[in-house]
Amino acid sequence: MTLSFAPLTPTIAAEVSSIDLTRPLTPEQVRAIDDGMDRYGVLVFHDQRFDDETQLAFSRNFGELEVSSGAEMSKPEEMRLKMEMADISNLDPNNRLRAADDRKRLGALGNRLWHSDASFRAVPAKYSLLSARIVPPKGGNTEFADMRAAYDALDDATKAQVENLVTEHSNAFSREIIGFERQDYGPENQDKLRPVRHRLVRYDPHTGRKSLYLSAHIGGIIGWPIPEARAFIRDLMEHATQPEFVYAHAWKPWDLVIWDNRTTMHRARRYNDLTDVRDMRRSTIRGDGVTVEQVQQAA
Amino acid sequence: MTINIRPVQPGFVGEVTGIDICQPLSAADVAAIERGMDEFAVLTFPKQPLTDDQQVVFSANFGELEIPLAAQMAAPETRRFQKLELGDISNFAVGSTEVLRARDDKKRMYALANRLWHSDASFRAVGAGYTLLHSRINPSKGGNTEFADMRAAYDALDSATKALVDDMIVEHSIVYSREQIGFTVEGDSADLKPVKHRLVVTHPVTGRKSLYLSSHIGSIVGWLIPEARAFLRDLTEHATQRQFVYSHPWEVNDLVMWDNRTVMHRATRFDDLKEKRDLRRTSIKGVGLAVDHVPVAQAAE
Repeated sequence: MTLSFAPLTPTIAAEVSSIDLTRPLTPEQVRAIDDGMDRYGVLVFHDQRFDDETQLAFSRNFGELEVSSGAEMSKPEEMRLKMEMADISNLDPNNRLRAADDRKRLGALGNRLWHSDASFRAVPAKYSLLSARIVPPKGGNTEFADMRAAYDALDDATKAQVENLVTEHSNAFSREIIGFERQDYGPENQDKLRPVRHRLVRYDPHTGRKSLYLSAHIGGIIGWPIPEARAFIRDLMEHATQPEFVYAHAWKPWDLVIWDNRTTMHRARRYNDLTDVRDMRRSTIRGDGVTVEQVQQAA
Repeated sequence: MTINIRPVQPGFVGEVTGIDICQPLSAADVAAIERGMDEFAVLTFPKQPLTDDQQVVFSANFGELEIPLAAQMAAPETRRFQKLELGDISNFAVGSTEVLRARDDKKRMYALANRLWHSDASFRAVGAGYTLLHSRINPSKGGNTEFADMRAAYDALDSATKALVDDMIVEHSIVYSREQIGFTVEGDSADLKPVKHRLVVTHPVTGRKSLYLSSHIGSIVGWLIPEARAFLRDLTEHATQRQFVYSHPWEVNDLVMWDNRTVMHRATRFDDLKEKRDLRRTSIKGVGLAVDHVPVAQAAE
């Protein structure tokens, strides 16, 4: 059966119908999804009744799975799901709602800032695949912003200015924005907060398009004073997340949304997380390589 | 001459003509401008070649002038103006009107935070009422000032959010806004300590409610910090949507006056390492604002 793509905005996101992703796919089907990702950046599939095993099996069609950074920074007894499955929920390991002052809850509030998954890794994420198992009655949308359209809309002077900029990303920077302290990650995780470098403008030889590689994890621009870098990145973020570049996804149970972290940013929106359950499971595909050479930093 | 106010953005921004504000004003003129401020919240006065002294005289029609924190904290020899009431909104290096501030100049870093949406002096127990900004030199490109209407932003909130914010108390400090761009404000001045304000204020004349938002806000009383900051970001994003914003492209000798109790503003980027931008600011101490509404027990903490 042929997949059909219905665009959800003029530039980003499409809804895909006529496919059951929980069953093994043919190479043609995988290629059709990859092509759709190149074209739209975000694909929405409804009524995909995944369990964790079938979600991981489906995800492997697109590359090597990444271990979730949340899992990587947790003790085994703190985990609800397996290592490859990022737990995007407000539940603790016993499936109870997290308390207001739960450290994991406060750290996860950083997901309400526009970001690209795992941009704090030297080899950052390619696709993220998010499956909705339980959704709250109100709020909790995920929004996606088109970083290719945002790049295209820059004026020539700004394009020239950003072309060769290299930025520094760390999970600590995005959390610092909301006042979640670096030490709250625990002493055992400090090395995972070391900044990595990325190009601000990425080029995809496959599609021939450039995109802005923005993320809340950015804390500096190489060669720039910090305040100037942060003010500039804020302006770029504002430009890149204007309504015309954004698709807001209102979740239904069993939706699966795939996005390309190389060409989109996303964020979660507020919901009443102290009383309503939101259980989403994310699998993540590792990217192809570094965007710029890394620099060994003195310890 | 008759004073005339032409709506530039209805209900928010008006352009005032038919008046020479370099000359002393009649009580009727002052009253007409104040009425205009209540109706609009931002007034622009084009082609007013004010001297510093004339700007101070004009400003004093509207209340007691405030001394800017930057001037107050600066060593006397690094101040550009003798008059402390005159705020230096320029990119000149100390002691010069030709040499621009160097890339890593601390005054430049401090001033970069003006690119975040804020309300002047909201980090003080009594924040600013009106601010008056007069343009002397403009860059060839960029450097607009943008204004956002906090009354319209409040009105547009859904009723659940209105109920959530109506009695909220927040903490403001100049340290918070600078921290957001990674700049640490040094010193132990009492002016760096957080002050409390209501998030929703009622204008003393019009009775309209508005969001008293500012990048100087660092927390909400009774909330965990990360939750407060994420919430305030969402609220600021709501309040600065395009439909609430006016962007002012400066002409030399424009004077723009706004009410900090109902308006946030910010500067936009320009090539400040190559081009000059020189504006002079005066501010009037706010009356009937915020702190008056904070329950005494909380204000005294």
